[in-house]
Amino acid sequence: MMKIKAKIVVRGIVRGEAIVSSMPISFTGSVDPNTGIVREPGHELEGQSIAGKILLFPMGKGSTTGSWQFYATYKRGNAPKGIINLRAEGVVAVSAVITGTPMVHQLEQDPFQYIKNGDMVTINGDEGFVEVEREAP
Amino acid sequence: MQLTKKEKDMIEGKYGPGYQRCMEILVAVGECYGAERMVPVTSVHIAGNYSVMETEGIEWLEELAQDGARVTVFTTKNPEMFDFEDWREFNIPENLLDKQNRINDVLRTLGATLTYSCHHYLVGNLPRFGDHIAWASSGSGAYANSVIGARSNRDGDHTVISAAVTGVIPEYGLHLSRNRKGQVIVKTDSLNIADYNHADFQAMAWQIGKKVGDRIPVFVDLPPNIVTQNLKAILYTLTVTGAVGLVHFVGITPEAPTVEAACGDDASSLEKISVTQEDVDQAYREISTSSDEKVDLVIFGCPQCSIQEIGEVAEFLDGKKIHPETQLWICTSDWVKTLCKRMGYSEKIKAAGGRIVADIGAACGPYLYLPQQGVRVIAINSARASYYSHNVTGMETWFGSTRECIETAIAGTWRGHK
Repeated sequence: MMKIKAKIVVRGIVRGEAIVSSMPISFTGSVDPNTGIVREPGHELEGQSIAGKILLFPMGKGSTTGSWQFYATYKRGNAPKGIINLRAEGVVAVSAVITGTPMVHQLEQDPFQYIKNGDMVTINGDEGFVEVEREAP
Repeated sequence: MQLTKKEKDMIEGKYGPGYQRCMEILVAVGECYGAERMVPVTSVHIAGNYSVMETEGIEWLEELAQDGARVTVFTTKNPEMFDFEDWREFNIPENLLDKQNRINDVLRTLGATLTYSCHHYLVGNLPRFGDHIAWASSGSGAYANSVIGARSNRDGDHTVISAAVTGVIPEYGLHLSRNRKGQVIVKTDSLNIADYNHADFQAMAWQIGKKVGDRIPVFVDLPPNIVTQNLKAILYTLTVTGAVGLVHFVGITPEAPTVEAACGDDASSLEKISVTQEDVDQAYREISTSSDEKVDLVIFGCPQCSIQEIGEVAEFLDGKKIHPETQLWICTSDWVKTLCKRMGYSEKIKAAGGRIVADIGAACGPYLYLPQQGVRVIAINSARASYYSHNVTGMETWFGSTRECIETAIAGTWRGHK
Protein backbone atom coordinates (compact mmCIF):
# COMPACT_ATOMS: atom_id res chain seq x y z
CA MET A 1 0.00 0.00 0.00
CA MET A 2 1.37 3.38 -1.02
CA LYS A 3 -0.27 6.64 0.00
CA ILE A 4 0.53 9.95 -1.70
CA LYS A 5 -0.83 13.33 -0.60
CA ALA A 6 -2.49 15.45 -3.29
CA LYS A 7 -4.35 18.71 -3.79
CA ILE A 8 -8.11 18.38 -4.25
CA VAL A 9 -9.86 19.60 -7.41
CA VAL A 10 -13.17 17.73 -6.98
CA ARG A 11 -14.25 15.94 -3.78
CA GLY A 12 -15.38 12.32 -3.55
CA ILE A 13 -13.84 8.89 -3.01
CA VAL A 14 -13.48 6.40 -5.84
CA ARG A 15 -11.56 3.13 -6.35
CA GLY A 16 -10.74 1.52 -9.67
CA GLU A 17 -8.23 0.20 -12.16
CA ALA A 18 -5.58 2.67 -13.30
CA ILE A 19 -4.94 3.64 -16.91
CA VAL A 20 -1.82 5.77 -17.37
CA SER A 21 -0.87 8.21 -20.13
CA SER A 22 2.37 10.17 -20.07
CA MET A 23 0.93 12.28 -22.93
CA PRO A 24 -1.62 15.10 -22.45
CA ILE A 25 -5.21 14.37 -23.49
CA SER A 26 -7.80 16.49 -25.32
CA PHE A 27 -11.42 15.49 -24.83
CA THR A 28 -12.39 17.16 -28.11
CA GLY A 29 -11.06 14.91 -30.82
CA SER A 30 -8.88 12.46 -28.84
CA VAL A 31 -11.61 10.42 -27.11
CA ASP A 32 -14.75 8.96 -28.74
CA PRO A 33 -17.75 9.86 -26.51
CA ASN A 34 -19.63 6.79 -27.79
CA THR A 35 -17.03 4.29 -26.56
CA GLY A 36 -14.52 6.02 -24.27
CA ILE A 37 -11.78 4.77 -26.62
CA VAL A 38 -8.83 7.06 -27.36
CA ARG A 39 -8.89 7.66 -31.13
CA GLU A 40 -6.10 10.21 -31.60
CA PRO A 41 -3.61 8.75 -34.11
CA GLY A 42 -0.22 8.24 -32.48
CA HIS A 43 -1.48 8.73 -28.91
CA GLU A 44 0.02 6.20 -26.51
CA LEU A 45 -3.49 5.18 -25.40
CA GLU A 46 -4.79 4.91 -28.99
CA GLY A 47 -7.33 2.08 -29.19
CA GLN A 48 -7.67 1.74 -25.37
CA SER A 49 -10.76 2.65 -23.37
CA ILE A 50 -10.67 5.08 -20.45
CA ALA A 51 -14.28 4.23 -19.48
CA GLY A 52 -14.73 3.44 -15.79
CA LYS A 53 -10.99 3.70 -15.08
CA ILE A 54 -8.88 5.91 -12.85
CA LEU A 55 -7.15 8.07 -15.46
CA LEU A 56 -3.66 9.41 -14.74
CA PHE A 57 -2.26 11.92 -17.26
CA PRO A 58 -0.10 15.05 -17.00
CA MET A 59 -2.70 17.65 -18.02
CA GLY A 60 -5.33 18.55 -20.61
CA LYS A 61 -4.50 20.04 -24.00
CA GLY A 62 -6.26 21.39 -27.09
CA SER A 63 -9.69 22.89 -27.60
CA THR A 64 -11.50 24.64 -24.75
CA THR A 65 -14.65 22.84 -25.95
CA GLY A 66 -13.26 19.69 -24.27
CA SER A 67 -15.63 20.06 -21.31
CA TRP A 68 -18.68 19.68 -23.62
CA GLN A 69 -17.25 16.49 -25.09
CA PHE A 70 -16.24 15.12 -21.66
CA TYR A 71 -19.80 15.71 -20.45
CA ALA A 72 -21.25 13.79 -23.43
CA THR A 73 -18.74 10.97 -22.76
CA TYR A 74 -19.83 10.89 -19.11
CA LYS A 75 -23.56 10.86 -19.92
CA ARG A 76 -23.02 7.90 -22.28
CA GLY A 77 -21.28 5.97 -19.46
CA ASN A 78 -17.83 6.15 -21.04
CA ALA A 79 -15.94 8.64 -18.86
CA PRO A 80 -13.18 7.76 -16.38
CA LYS A 81 -14.46 7.46 -12.79
CA GLY A 82 -11.57 9.42 -11.30
CA ILE A 83 -8.83 11.75 -12.60
CA ILE A 84 -5.25 12.32 -11.42
CA ASN A 85 -3.29 15.12 -13.12
CA LEU A 86 0.23 16.33 -12.51
CA ARG A 87 -1.07 19.89 -12.80
CA ALA A 88 -4.71 20.53 -13.62
CA GLU A 89 -5.71 23.08 -16.25
CA GLY A 90 -9.13 24.66 -16.57
CA VAL A 91 -10.79 22.47 -19.19
CA VAL A 92 -10.20 19.15 -17.40
CA ALA A 93 -10.96 20.70 -14.01
CA VAL A 94 -14.31 22.00 -15.28
CA SER A 95 -15.05 18.60 -16.85
CA ALA A 96 -14.56 16.94 -13.46
CA VAL A 97 -16.67 19.54 -11.63
CA ILE A 98 -19.71 19.29 -13.93
CA THR A 99 -19.70 15.49 -13.81
CA GLY A 100 -18.84 15.14 -10.10
CA THR A 101 -15.77 13.08 -11.04
CA PRO A 102 -13.31 12.94 -8.10
CA MET A 103 -10.08 14.63 -9.17
CA VAL A 104 -6.74 15.47 -7.54
CA HIS A 105 -3.50 17.04 -8.77
CA GLN A 106 -0.06 18.26 -7.60
CA LEU A 107 0.81 15.00 -5.81
CA GLU A 108 3.66 15.15 -3.29
CA GLN A 109 5.48 12.40 -5.17
CA ASP A 110 5.60 11.70 -8.91
CA PRO A 111 2.55 9.47 -9.54
CA PHE A 112 4.11 8.05 -12.73
CA GLN A 113 6.72 6.36 -10.50
CA TYR A 114 4.12 4.54 -8.43
CA ILE A 115 1.03 4.03 -10.57
CA LYS A 116 1.15 1.57 -13.49
CA ASN A 117 -1.56 0.37 -15.89
CA GLY A 118 -3.88 -2.10 -14.17
CA ASP A 119 -3.02 -1.13 -10.57
CA MET A 120 -5.97 -0.75 -8.20
CA VAL A 121 -5.99 2.90 -7.13
CA THR A 122 -8.17 4.91 -4.75
CA ILE A 123 -8.61 8.67 -5.13
CA ASN A 124 -9.66 10.23 -1.84
CA GLY A 125 -10.84 13.65 -2.91
CA ASP A 126 -12.28 14.39 0.53
CA GLU A 127 -9.02 14.21 2.43
CA GLY A 128 -6.63 14.76 -0.49
CA PHE A 129 -4.63 11.64 -1.16
CA VAL A 130 -4.17 8.78 -3.62
CA GLU A 131 -3.68 5.17 -2.50
CA VAL A 132 -2.04 2.50 -4.69
CA GLU A 133 -2.60 -1.18 -3.81
CA ARG A 134 0.90 -2.26 -4.72
CA GLU A 135 4.26 -2.51 -3.02
CA ALA A 136 6.52 0.51 -3.44
CA PRO A 137 9.24 -0.23 -6.03
CA MET B 1 -9.47 31.51 -2.62
CA GLN B 2 -10.78 34.52 -0.73
CA LEU B 3 -14.48 34.81 -1.56
CA THR B 4 -16.75 37.76 -0.84
CA LYS B 5 -19.92 37.23 1.20
CA LYS B 6 -22.04 37.11 -1.96
CA GLU B 7 -19.69 34.60 -3.61
CA LYS B 8 -19.76 32.44 -0.46
CA ASP B 9 -23.54 32.62 -0.36
CA MET B 10 -23.64 31.45 -3.97
CA ILE B 11 -21.38 28.46 -3.37
CA GLU B 12 -23.36 27.52 -0.26
CA GLY B 13 -26.54 27.40 -2.34
CA LYS B 14 -28.32 30.46 -0.93
CA TYR B 15 -29.00 31.69 -4.48
CA GLY B 16 -30.21 28.23 -5.59
CA PRO B 17 -28.54 25.27 -7.30
CA GLY B 18 -27.88 27.04 -10.62
CA TYR B 19 -25.74 29.79 -9.10
CA GLN B 20 -24.13 27.22 -6.79
CA ARG B 21 -23.00 25.05 -9.74
CA CYS B 22 -21.57 28.08 -11.54
CA MET B 23 -19.61 29.26 -8.50
CA GLU B 24 -18.27 25.71 -7.94
CA ILE B 25 -16.94 25.71 -11.50
CA LEU B 26 -15.22 29.08 -11.07
CA VAL B 27 -13.65 28.16 -7.72
CA ALA B 28 -12.28 24.90 -9.19
CA VAL B 29 -10.71 26.84 -12.09
CA GLY B 30 -9.38 29.51 -9.73
CA GLU B 31 -7.81 26.91 -7.41
CA CYS B 32 -6.11 25.19 -10.36
CA TYR B 33 -4.34 28.38 -11.33
CA GLY B 34 -3.70 29.71 -7.83
CA ALA B 35 -6.10 32.67 -8.16
CA GLU B 36 -6.50 34.59 -4.90
CA ARG B 37 -9.90 36.12 -5.62
CA MET B 38 -12.63 36.76 -8.18
CA VAL B 39 -12.92 39.95 -10.25
CA PRO B 40 -16.13 41.33 -11.83
CA VAL B 41 -16.60 40.80 -15.59
CA THR B 42 -18.34 43.26 -17.92
CA SER B 43 -18.78 41.11 -21.03
CA VAL B 44 -19.20 37.41 -21.86
CA HIS B 45 -19.17 35.51 -25.16
CA ILE B 46 -20.12 31.82 -25.55
CA ALA B 47 -18.33 29.81 -28.26
CA GLY B 48 -19.63 26.24 -28.45
CA ASN B 49 -22.02 25.17 -31.17
CA TYR B 50 -24.01 21.98 -31.56
CA SER B 51 -21.14 20.02 -33.14
CA VAL B 52 -19.18 20.05 -29.85
CA MET B 53 -22.04 20.54 -27.35
CA GLU B 54 -24.08 17.59 -28.62
CA THR B 55 -27.48 16.75 -27.12
CA GLU B 56 -26.04 16.25 -23.63
CA GLY B 57 -24.62 19.77 -23.71
CA ILE B 58 -28.04 21.21 -24.52
CA GLU B 59 -29.45 19.20 -21.59
CA TRP B 60 -26.77 20.61 -19.29
CA LEU B 61 -27.83 24.14 -20.24
CA GLU B 62 -31.52 23.24 -19.80
CA GLU B 63 -30.84 21.91 -16.28
CA LEU B 64 -28.90 25.05 -15.43
CA ALA B 65 -31.85 27.17 -16.56
CA GLN B 66 -34.33 24.99 -14.64
CA ASP B 67 -32.15 25.40 -11.56
CA GLY B 68 -32.74 29.15 -11.73
CA ALA B 69 -29.48 30.41 -13.22
CA ARG B 70 -29.73 33.59 -15.31
CA VAL B 71 -26.96 35.69 -16.83
CA THR B 72 -26.23 38.94 -15.01
CA VAL B 73 -23.69 40.26 -17.55
CA PHE B 74 -24.23 41.07 -21.25
CA THR B 75 -23.61 37.76 -23.04
CA THR B 76 -23.47 36.99 -26.76
CA LYS B 77 -23.16 33.73 -28.72
CA ASN B 78 -20.92 32.50 -31.54
CA PRO B 79 -22.29 31.37 -34.94
CA GLU B 80 -24.35 28.21 -35.32
CA MET B 81 -25.26 25.84 -38.15
CA PHE B 82 -27.54 27.69 -40.57
CA ASP B 83 -29.13 31.00 -41.58
CA PHE B 84 -32.16 31.69 -39.38
CA GLU B 85 -33.96 33.58 -42.14
CA ASP B 86 -33.24 31.42 -45.19
CA TRP B 87 -32.86 27.99 -43.59
CA ARG B 88 -35.61 26.45 -45.75
CA GLU B 89 -33.44 26.86 -48.84
CA PHE B 90 -30.60 24.78 -47.38
CA ASN B 91 -32.21 21.32 -46.90
CA ILE B 92 -31.36 21.28 -43.20
CA PRO B 93 -32.06 17.86 -41.60
CA GLU B 94 -35.03 17.86 -39.15
CA ASN B 95 -32.81 16.66 -36.35
CA LEU B 96 -30.53 19.71 -36.59
CA LEU B 97 -33.51 22.09 -36.73
CA ASP B 98 -34.87 20.57 -33.55
CA LYS B 99 -31.51 20.85 -31.77
CA GLN B 100 -31.12 24.47 -32.90
CA ASN B 101 -34.58 25.37 -31.58
CA ARG B 102 -33.65 23.92 -28.19
CA ILE B 103 -30.37 25.89 -28.15
CA ASN B 104 -32.29 29.09 -29.00
CA ASP B 105 -34.86 28.46 -26.27
CA VAL B 106 -32.42 27.66 -23.49
CA LEU B 107 -30.05 30.54 -24.25
CA ARG B 108 -33.01 32.95 -24.37
CA THR B 109 -34.22 31.62 -21.00
CA LEU B 110 -30.75 32.01 -19.50
CA GLY B 111 -30.72 35.60 -20.79
CA ALA B 112 -27.98 35.36 -23.39
CA THR B 113 -28.41 37.50 -26.54
CA LEU B 114 -28.73 35.36 -29.67
CA THR B 115 -26.24 37.19 -31.88
CA TYR B 116 -24.87 34.01 -33.52
CA SER B 117 -21.88 36.07 -34.48
CA CYS B 118 -18.12 35.85 -34.00
CA HIS B 119 -17.65 39.55 -34.72
CA HIS B 120 -19.72 40.29 -31.61
CA TYR B 121 -17.47 43.30 -30.92
CA LEU B 122 -18.89 44.83 -34.13
CA VAL B 123 -22.51 44.21 -33.19
CA GLY B 124 -22.83 45.43 -29.62
CA ASN B 125 -20.57 43.42 -27.32
CA LEU B 126 -17.73 45.91 -27.05
CA PRO B 127 -15.86 46.06 -23.73
CA ARG B 128 -13.65 48.96 -22.69
CA PHE B 129 -9.91 49.23 -22.15
CA GLY B 130 -8.91 47.39 -18.98
CA ASP B 131 -12.24 45.58 -18.55
CA HIS B 132 -12.16 42.00 -17.29
CA ILE B 133 -14.14 39.85 -19.71
CA ALA B 134 -14.78 36.14 -20.40
CA TRP B 135 -14.76 35.35 -24.12
CA ALA B 136 -14.62 31.68 -25.06
CA SER B 137 -13.31 31.83 -28.58
CA SER B 138 -9.57 32.05 -28.98
CA GLY B 139 -9.52 34.40 -31.98
CA SER B 140 -11.83 37.06 -30.61
CA GLY B 141 -10.22 36.69 -27.16
CA ALA B 142 -6.89 37.61 -28.73
CA TYR B 143 -8.59 40.54 -30.50
CA ALA B 144 -10.02 41.77 -27.18
CA ASN B 145 -6.66 41.57 -25.41
CA SER B 146 -4.56 42.97 -28.25
CA VAL B 147 -6.72 45.58 -30.01
CA ILE B 148 -9.32 46.64 -27.43
CA GLY B 149 -7.10 46.19 -24.37
CA ALA B 150 -9.73 44.29 -22.39
CA ARG B 151 -8.56 41.26 -20.40
CA SER B 152 -9.60 37.70 -21.18
CA ASN B 153 -8.03 34.29 -20.58
CA ARG B 154 -8.43 31.31 -22.88
CA ASP B 155 -11.58 30.08 -21.11
CA GLY B 156 -13.94 27.25 -22.04
CA ASP B 157 -17.71 27.63 -22.35
CA HIS B 158 -18.63 26.26 -18.90
CA THR B 159 -16.29 28.81 -17.34
CA VAL B 160 -17.66 31.76 -19.30
CA ILE B 161 -21.29 30.76 -18.75
CA SER B 162 -20.51 30.55 -15.02
CA ALA B 163 -18.95 34.01 -15.24
CA ALA B 164 -22.05 35.32 -17.01
CA VAL B 165 -24.29 33.98 -14.25
CA THR B 166 -22.22 34.93 -11.19
CA GLY B 167 -20.78 38.13 -12.69
CA VAL B 168 -17.20 37.24 -11.72
CA ILE B 169 -14.14 35.30 -12.99
CA PRO B 170 -11.05 34.03 -11.12
CA GLU B 171 -8.22 36.56 -11.24
CA TYR B 172 -5.25 34.82 -12.87
CA GLY B 173 -3.31 34.81 -16.14
CA LEU B 174 -4.05 37.73 -18.46
CA HIS B 175 -6.34 39.39 -15.89
CA LEU B 176 -3.18 40.43 -14.00
CA SER B 177 -0.97 43.25 -15.33
CA ARG B 178 2.18 41.39 -14.32
CA ASN B 179 1.32 38.56 -16.73
CA ARG B 180 0.73 40.85 -19.73
CA LYS B 181 4.33 41.82 -20.51
CA GLY B 182 5.75 40.98 -23.92
CA GLN B 183 7.97 37.89 -23.98
CA VAL B 184 9.35 37.63 -27.52
CA ILE B 185 10.07 40.31 -30.17
CA VAL B 186 8.71 39.71 -33.68
CA LYS B 187 10.51 41.49 -36.55
CA THR B 188 8.71 41.78 -39.89
CA ASP B 189 10.94 44.42 -41.56
CA SER B 190 12.63 41.92 -43.89
CA LEU B 191 9.24 41.21 -45.53
CA ASN B 192 7.65 43.49 -48.08
CA ILE B 193 4.46 43.84 -46.04
CA ALA B 194 3.51 47.10 -47.78
CA ASP B 195 2.38 44.84 -50.66
CA TYR B 196 0.78 42.16 -48.47
CA ASN B 197 -2.88 41.29 -48.83
CA HIS B 198 -5.09 39.80 -46.14
CA ALA B 199 -4.05 36.22 -47.04
CA ASP B 200 -0.34 37.07 -46.99
CA PHE B 201 -0.67 38.38 -43.43
CA GLN B 202 -2.27 35.07 -42.44
CA ALA B 203 0.45 33.03 -44.15
CA MET B 204 3.05 35.12 -42.27
CA ALA B 205 1.25 34.66 -38.94
CA TRP B 206 0.90 30.90 -39.59
CA GLN B 207 4.70 30.60 -39.48
CA ILE B 208 5.22 33.12 -36.66
CA GLY B 209 2.69 31.28 -34.46
CA LYS B 210 4.80 28.12 -34.57
CA LYS B 211 7.83 30.02 -33.28
CA VAL B 212 5.90 31.96 -30.62
CA GLY B 213 4.21 28.94 -28.97
CA ASP B 214 2.43 30.11 -25.81
CA ARG B 215 4.51 33.27 -25.29
CA ILE B 216 3.31 36.88 -25.65
CA PRO B 217 4.71 38.24 -28.94
CA VAL B 218 5.57 41.90 -29.58
CA PHE B 219 5.32 43.02 -33.21
CA VAL B 220 7.68 46.00 -33.39
CA ASP B 221 7.51 47.20 -36.98
CA LEU B 222 3.98 47.01 -38.32
CA PRO B 223 2.72 50.36 -39.69
CA PRO B 224 0.30 52.00 -37.19
CA ASN B 225 -2.20 52.60 -40.03
CA ILE B 226 -2.49 48.85 -40.82
CA VAL B 227 -6.18 48.12 -41.43
CA THR B 228 -8.13 46.21 -38.77
CA GLN B 229 -8.83 43.37 -41.20
CA ASN B 230 -5.09 42.67 -41.40
CA LEU B 231 -4.70 42.77 -37.61
CA LYS B 232 -7.49 40.21 -37.42
CA ALA B 233 -5.70 38.15 -40.07
CA ILE B 234 -2.62 38.00 -37.84
CA LEU B 235 -4.48 37.37 -34.56
CA TYR B 236 -6.92 34.73 -35.76
CA THR B 237 -4.08 32.77 -37.37
CA LEU B 238 -1.60 33.06 -34.47
CA THR B 239 -4.20 31.39 -32.25
CA VAL B 240 -4.23 28.35 -34.56
CA THR B 241 -0.51 27.55 -34.80
CA GLY B 242 0.37 29.07 -31.41
CA ALA B 243 -1.40 29.18 -28.04
CA VAL B 244 -1.48 32.96 -28.09
CA GLY B 245 -3.87 35.03 -25.94
CA LEU B 246 -2.31 38.50 -26.18
CA VAL B 247 -0.22 40.17 -28.87
CA HIS B 248 1.42 43.56 -28.46
CA PHE B 249 1.36 45.52 -31.72
CA VAL B 250 3.64 48.45 -30.84
CA GLY B 251 1.87 51.72 -31.61
CA ILE B 252 -1.53 50.00 -31.90
CA THR B 253 -2.23 47.91 -28.78
CA PRO B 254 -3.44 50.28 -26.01
CA GLU B 255 -0.89 48.90 -23.53
CA ALA B 256 1.98 49.11 -26.05
CA PRO B 257 2.64 52.68 -27.20
CA THR B 258 6.35 51.75 -27.12
CA VAL B 259 8.41 48.54 -26.95
CA GLU B 260 9.40 49.43 -23.40
CA ALA B 261 5.78 49.89 -22.33
CA ALA B 262 4.95 46.47 -23.81
CA CYS B 263 7.89 44.57 -22.31
CA GLY B 264 9.04 46.48 -19.26
CA ASP B 265 12.75 46.76 -18.54
CA ASP B 266 13.55 43.41 -20.16
CA ALA B 267 12.92 44.56 -23.74
CA SER B 268 16.54 44.44 -24.87
CA SER B 269 17.18 40.95 -23.50
CA LEU B 270 14.17 39.30 -25.19
CA GLU B 271 14.59 36.77 -27.98
CA LYS B 272 13.94 38.19 -31.46
CA ILE B 273 12.21 36.08 -34.10
CA SER B 274 11.38 36.62 -37.77
CA VAL B 275 10.28 34.63 -40.79
CA THR B 276 11.46 34.76 -44.42
CA GLN B 277 9.42 35.24 -47.58
CA GLU B 278 10.17 31.58 -48.39
CA ASP B 279 8.53 30.63 -45.07
CA VAL B 280 5.46 32.71 -45.98
CA ASP B 281 5.25 31.05 -49.43
CA GLN B 282 5.64 27.63 -47.79
CA ALA B 283 2.71 28.42 -45.44
CA TYR B 284 0.33 28.57 -48.43
CA ARG B 285 1.31 24.99 -49.31
CA GLU B 286 0.84 23.85 -45.70
CA ILE B 287 -2.53 25.50 -45.17
CA SER B 288 -4.19 24.10 -48.31
CA THR B 289 -5.01 20.39 -48.04
CA SER B 290 -6.67 19.63 -51.39
CA SER B 291 -5.05 18.06 -54.44
CA ASP B 292 -8.30 18.18 -56.44
CA GLU B 293 -8.54 21.46 -58.36
CA LYS B 294 -12.30 21.31 -58.91
CA VAL B 295 -13.88 23.42 -56.16
CA ASP B 296 -17.43 22.76 -54.88
CA LEU B 297 -17.76 25.75 -52.57
CA VAL B 298 -15.99 29.08 -52.18
CA ILE B 299 -16.72 30.36 -48.68
CA PHE B 300 -15.74 33.57 -46.83
CA GLY B 301 -16.28 34.49 -43.19
CA CYS B 302 -13.92 33.20 -40.52
CA PRO B 303 -14.26 35.42 -38.63
CA GLN B 304 -17.58 36.54 -40.13
CA CYS B 305 -17.19 39.14 -42.92
CA SER B 306 -17.48 42.83 -42.09
CA ILE B 307 -19.56 45.17 -44.26
CA GLN B 308 -16.33 46.51 -45.82
CA GLU B 309 -15.18 43.03 -46.87
CA ILE B 310 -18.56 42.21 -48.41
CA GLY B 311 -18.58 45.57 -50.22
CA GLU B 312 -15.29 44.61 -51.90
CA VAL B 313 -16.65 41.21 -52.92
CA ALA B 314 -19.83 42.77 -54.36
CA GLU B 315 -17.82 45.27 -56.37
CA PHE B 316 -15.54 42.58 -57.76
CA LEU B 317 -18.49 40.32 -58.67
CA ASP B 318 -20.53 43.08 -60.33
CA GLY B 319 -21.54 41.92 -63.80
CA LYS B 320 -19.79 38.53 -63.46
CA LYS B 321 -21.19 34.98 -63.15
CA ILE B 322 -19.88 32.25 -60.93
CA HIS B 323 -19.44 28.73 -62.29
CA PRO B 324 -22.68 26.67 -62.31
CA GLU B 325 -21.05 23.80 -60.39
CA THR B 326 -19.46 26.00 -57.73
CA GLN B 327 -21.28 27.72 -54.88
CA LEU B 328 -20.20 31.01 -53.31
CA TRP B 329 -21.16 31.66 -49.66
CA ILE B 330 -20.36 34.83 -47.76
CA CYS B 331 -20.88 34.27 -44.03
CA THR B 332 -21.68 37.14 -41.71
CA SER B 333 -23.93 38.27 -38.88
CA ASP B 334 -27.62 39.02 -39.35
CA TRP B 335 -26.88 42.74 -38.75
CA VAL B 336 -24.36 42.94 -41.57
CA LYS B 337 -26.64 40.88 -43.86
CA THR B 338 -29.38 43.49 -43.33
CA LEU B 339 -26.94 46.26 -44.13
CA CYS B 340 -25.88 44.41 -47.31
CA LYS B 341 -29.48 44.52 -48.55
CA ARG B 342 -29.65 48.26 -47.92
CA MET B 343 -26.34 48.82 -49.73
CA GLY B 344 -27.36 46.76 -52.76
CA TYR B 345 -24.54 44.26 -52.15
CA SER B 346 -26.97 41.35 -51.69
CA GLU B 347 -28.49 41.93 -55.13
CA LYS B 348 -25.12 42.15 -56.89
CA ILE B 349 -23.86 39.00 -55.20
CA LYS B 350 -27.09 37.15 -55.90
CA ALA B 351 -27.04 38.22 -59.57
CA ALA B 352 -23.57 36.73 -59.88
CA GLY B 353 -24.82 33.45 -58.36
CA GLY B 354 -23.46 33.83 -54.83
CA ARG B 355 -25.29 34.26 -51.53
CA ILE B 356 -24.90 36.01 -48.20
CA VAL B 357 -25.49 33.58 -45.32
CA ALA B 358 -26.11 34.93 -41.82
CA ASP B 359 -25.66 33.30 -38.39
CA ILE B 360 -22.90 30.90 -39.45
CA GLY B 361 -19.11 31.07 -39.65
CA ALA B 362 -16.97 29.54 -42.37
CA ALA B 363 -15.07 27.22 -40.00
CA CYS B 364 -17.47 24.49 -38.83
CA GLY B 365 -21.25 24.85 -38.67
CA PRO B 366 -22.36 24.31 -42.32
CA TYR B 367 -20.14 21.24 -42.73
CA LEU B 368 -22.62 19.33 -40.55
CA TYR B 369 -24.88 19.08 -43.63
CA LEU B 370 -22.96 20.26 -46.72
CA PRO B 371 -20.98 17.01 -47.25
CA GLN B 372 -24.31 15.14 -47.59
CA GLN B 373 -25.13 17.59 -50.38
CA GLY B 374 -21.95 16.76 -52.30
CA VAL B 375 -19.65 19.53 -51.04
CA ARG B 376 -16.15 18.13 -50.54
CA VAL B 377 -13.54 20.66 -51.76
CA ILE B 378 -13.73 24.26 -50.54
CA ALA B 379 -11.72 27.39 -51.34
CA ILE B 380 -11.36 29.89 -48.52
CA ASN B 381 -9.58 33.12 -47.62
CA SER B 382 -9.11 32.10 -43.95
CA ALA B 383 -6.22 29.94 -42.75
CA ARG B 384 -8.06 29.34 -39.49
CA ALA B 385 -11.17 28.02 -41.25
CA SER B 386 -9.03 25.88 -43.55
CA TYR B 387 -7.47 24.23 -40.50
CA TYR B 388 -10.71 23.64 -38.58
CA SER B 389 -12.90 22.63 -41.51
CA HIS B 390 -10.28 20.05 -42.52
CA ASN B 391 -9.40 18.71 -39.06
CA VAL B 392 -12.84 18.80 -37.44
CA THR B 393 -15.15 18.08 -40.36
CA GLY B 394 -12.88 16.51 -42.99
CA MET B 395 -13.25 19.07 -45.81
CA GLU B 396 -10.48 19.40 -48.42
CA THR B 397 -9.32 23.01 -48.72
CA TRP B 398 -7.59 25.59 -50.89
CA PHE B 399 -6.36 28.74 -49.14
CA GLY B 400 -5.73 32.04 -50.91
CA SER B 401 -6.64 35.73 -51.14
CA THR B 402 -10.21 36.98 -51.54
CA ARG B 403 -9.50 37.82 -55.20
CA GLU B 404 -8.04 34.36 -55.93
CA CYS B 405 -11.05 32.72 -54.29
CA ILE B 406 -13.52 34.80 -56.31
CA GLU B 407 -11.65 34.00 -59.54
CA THR B 408 -11.94 30.36 -58.47
CA ALA B 409 -15.70 30.73 -57.99
CA ILE B 410 -15.99 32.08 -61.54
CA ALA B 411 -13.72 29.43 -63.09
CA GLY B 412 -14.91 26.47 -61.00
CA THR B 413 -11.33 25.36 -60.41
CA TRP B 414 -8.61 26.64 -58.06
CA ARG B 415 -6.91 29.83 -59.32
CA GLY B 416 -4.55 30.67 -56.46
CA HIS B 417 -1.24 29.55 -54.88
CA LYS B 418 -0.47 25.84 -55.29
